[in-house]
Amino acid sequence: MRPPVYLDYAATTPVRPEVLEAMLPYLTANSFGNPSSAHRFGRAARAGIEMARRQVAEAVGAEPNQVVFTSGGTEADNLGIVGAALAARDRGATMCAVVSAVEHKAVLAAAHAVCHLGGREVLLPVDAGGQIDFTALEAALADRPAVVSVMWVNNETGVIQPIGEIAARCRDAGVIFHTDAVQALGKVPLTANGLSCTLLTISGHKIGAPKGIGALIVRDRKAVEAIIHGGGQQFGIRPGTENVAGAVALGRAAQLAGAEQASLAERLCLLRDEMAARLRRAVPDLVVIAEESPRAPHLLSIAVPGADSEALLMHLDLAGIAASSGSACSTGAVEPSHVLLAMGVPYDLALGAIRFSFGRESTDDDVDRAVEVVPPVVDKVRRLAGVLGRAEGRTRGQADHGQGGTAEAAGIGR
Amino acid sequence: MSKRVLVAMSGGVDSSVAAARLVEQGYDVVGATMKLFCYGDDVPDRPCCSLDSINDARDVAHTIGIPHYVLNLEDRFDLHVIQNFVSEYSRGRTPIPCVRCNSFTKFRDLLAHADALDCDYIATGHYAIARNGELYRGSDPTKDQSYFLWGIDQQVVARMLTPVGELSKSETRAYAHRLGLTTADKEESVEICFVPNDDYASVLERHLPADAPALSPGPLVTTTGEVIGKHRGYARYTIGQRKGLPGGFPSARFVVAIRPERREVVIGSVEELAGHSIRLEELNWLAPALEAGDTCLVQIRYRARAVPATVLQIQEEFLTLALTTPVRAITPGQSGVLYRPQGQVLGGGVIG
Repeated sequence: MRPPVYLDYAATTPVRPEVLEAMLPYLTANSFGNPSSAHRFGRAARAGIEMARRQVAEAVGAEPNQVVFTSGGTEADNLGIVGAALAARDRGATMCAVVSAVEHKAVLAAAHAVCHLGGREVLLPVDAGGQIDFTALEAALADRPAVVSVMWVNNETGVIQPIGEIAARCRDAGVIFHTDAVQALGKVPLTANGLSCTLLTISGHKIGAPKGIGALIVRDRKAVEAIIHGGGQQFGIRPGTENVAGAVALGRAAQLAGAEQASLAERLCLLRDEMAARLRRAVPDLVVIAEESPRAPHLLSIAVPGADSEALLMHLDLAGIAASSGSACSTGAVEPSHVLLAMGVPYDLALGAIRFSFGRESTDDDVDRAVEVVPPVVDKVRRLAGVLGRAEGRTRGQADHGQGGTAEAAGIGR
Repeated sequence: MSKRVLVAMSGGVDSSVAAARLVEQGYDVVGATMKLFCYGDDVPDRPCCSLDSINDARDVAHTIGIPHYVLNLEDRFDLHVIQNFVSEYSRGRTPIPCVRCNSFTKFRDLLAHADALDCDYIATGHYAIARNGELYRGSDPTKDQSYFLWGIDQQVVARMLTPVGELSKSETRAYAHRLGLTTADKEESVEICFVPNDDYASVLERHLPADAPALSPGPLVTTTGEVIGKHRGYARYTIGQRKGLPGGFPSARFVVAIRPERREVVIGSVEELAGHSIRLEELNWLAPALEAGDTCLVQIRYRARAVPATVLQIQEEFLTLALTTPVRAITPGQSGVLYRPQGQVLGGGVIG
């Protein structure tokens, strides 16, 4: 059996050898210490943290003392949004989080948590190309919310938001701007526009560092209040003994990602476009999501009319191709992607959407294998959908989502 | 190339062992957990992703080295099982959703997935034995689940594998221990999967309007038609029930009939609970159909003993059986399953 092909680098990446080498001394050797300790072991660990801060700062165009390490992207998003809402409450301002409708669940759930804390959330709609509606942004800014959060690169579609422009509008309105740049780091140039974001999230495991490390760039310490409480580490914004080895890994990975971004983007763009073109030749009615929008080079979201994404992914896996439905719930939720629905992709089509994503280990051979495997899988899954009468299920699904259609049996309503 | 089999893994010990045995027997095994319902969707922080049963099945699949997937059959399960469950109770009957699930969801919809995956067989952790296209009781009389399987399509039996059918429950657990499966000591699930805390009325309340006749008060009457009180909605009662009825009678009272058209719940003595004949509807055969005059055994509830019966009348839509000795609480909506004395399942129907 041929080795499986990994086309899910947007979900996670293997740890890079350079990164592993950089972090190992901080787990063992002489640098295992607690960076808060006053002795030489502590100083060695502290030096690692500071080196990592400099590397991360350089990769995203920030200052080292603006880097706050977290347990990952989800925590950084929560700290940015919930932390900004708490800070707003402290200064007597509106506890309102404005987020785009296509955000990662970490951001959407954090905005929802703001509601539970007594605040409000506002969802910014996007256009068919997946970019936010500036009229809605202006309207939301008029209410002086605590924070606006719009992701740099969408994790499902790859659509790039005009971050510089959004950040400028927020700055003009005096509103804190947060961006989730997890999928942007290493894939699109970050440093120029990065300067205008008050808060910016990155994650290690998307760029060859291990899982469990991320960072929030905090350019204004008054912008956020801590959401976990402890011994005052990391300026009191994120207390707790630092994950030194993780931070060192993130630093090294960010450094490499920054340095390699342009050449990697060029190569992945070719892979992605070739794969899209060849898939379309084999499956003519296949839809490439947001094809006309500015997109990050490593993401290819396609939708197959008349197929279910969960079945597609299962069949692809058995055939040795690892892909994703984008929304990363592998346990049977057949909700179509909220991202695609927000873009106005029809419900039926959204149910058949899958995501291929590329990374620095991706090769031409990977694309060849995928192009060989996908078309017969599509045929099988479409036949299955026919047998299981998928249309019937869809009508019900829509009813559940409040989008009209009531196919409930007589006498049975819920 | 070894034969491929799709095994339905619920996350329990039986289907875990079923999958493990198939791997040992050299099949190319693919594990699948069916996701059949979701009541957690209004809890944003606790989506069904964290369902323990799915995690257990996945963990076992990893241990025995097979791929595992979650198949969402919520729409199909709702259509064929939950809606039927609600409408049967609305008709004053006591349904068995597990029978519907086997007939429609597991051995039809899941089979469609198996076909698409080029699987030769479909397997489950049922205590029943499929052999040469025929279905038999499981070897462990205390665990036998053949009662729930009478409704599956006959041609499916030839493609069914029942790897734990000849084991006893303790053998199954011992096997799971030997392989170090995390589910080895998992408690038996005795509830209906989509009915939390055995409170089926709460499911009806969720699906029916508040003023539905089935859930609204109505007259409690004796077998002679005397009204002796009020009941809380006939769907909350089942034939043979003793609990929750008014006292003051010389002998114990039981629910002996439910008359949905008049919203009546009828109570009577234990003698009035006994029946001598049974009408079965929605027939399905797993062997050549019986004819009038044929004899067989009939089992009228999961834990009941099968009793001798003679076919009185048989039509396309229904059959009637005469019982040699009367049985207690023949309950419309339950299954009447027909067996040969040596344990072969001939077929069955829904008690009318």
